[in-house]
Amino acid sequence: MQISSQLPGLGTLPNAAAEAARSTTAGGRGEDSFLKTLHGALDQVDQMQGSAQDKVNGLLSGNGQDVHSAMIAVQQASLSFELMMQVRNKVVNAYTEISRLQF
Amino acid sequence: MNLFGVMQVSGSALGAERIRSEVTAANLANAESTHTEEGGPYRRKQVVFASQNAPSFQNTLAGAGESHGSQPRGVVVRDVVSDPAPPIMRYEPSHPDANEAGYVAYPNINPVAEMTDLLSAVRSYQMNVAAVSASKQMIAQSIDILR
Repeated sequence: MQISSQLPGLGTLPNAAAEAARSTTAGGRGEDSFLKTLHGALDQVDQMQGSAQDKVNGLLSGNGQDVHSAMIAVQQASLSFELMMQVRNKVVNAYTEISRLQF
Repeated sequence: MNLFGVMQVSGSALGAERIRSEVTAANLANAESTHTEEGGPYRRKQVVFASQNAPSFQNTLAGAGESHGSQPRGVVVRDVVSDPAPPIMRYEPSHPDANEAGYVAYPNINPVAEMTDLLSAVRSYQMNVAAVSASKQMIAQSIDILR
């Protein structure tokens, strides 16, 4: 009692652990958290594609768009898409692994 | 510093070098211009580069706790200044811009120096393109880890 009052960090430690456990179980139960992450990532990739498209359009229509910034935007969009595809492949692999589980 | 930090830094350098080559090309094009809107012959232009987001006290303080220390910064063209060198006077009495004594003020532009400047700008551009490709390869190789 005295120790925990002298070191306030000690008293909060179990609370923090309980908090972490609660958040993980909540994340495991509700499917919206993983979905939300996935949707957020997809939206970001989509944004990159959109900005790349805008820049290429600006370049082709002669709006004074810099060539290099358009090329860099295209590369960024391409790399983001590549990363998204790899993550998706991993997720699908995990799903097929689990669906092949036998008891 | 995000995934594309190198690309943003190199991209700013690409833009700056492009402006530098533009200014050099303008110097070459106006090497014989004796008449300008502000009067007198064309003055040789020079770009002044500056590091982006000069570190303020807050930024330094915020970065002090991080392991990186300072954030990578790009480059910006801070200013395009005119060369104060006096113009070259040539005796051409028939020229419409000649003064009472018959002398015409020509821009003090050395084509050799300008061409060297242009080459330097092009080489710097190449360097920064190489940096962008290297960063692209690094990211692609990191993605290959997932495979």
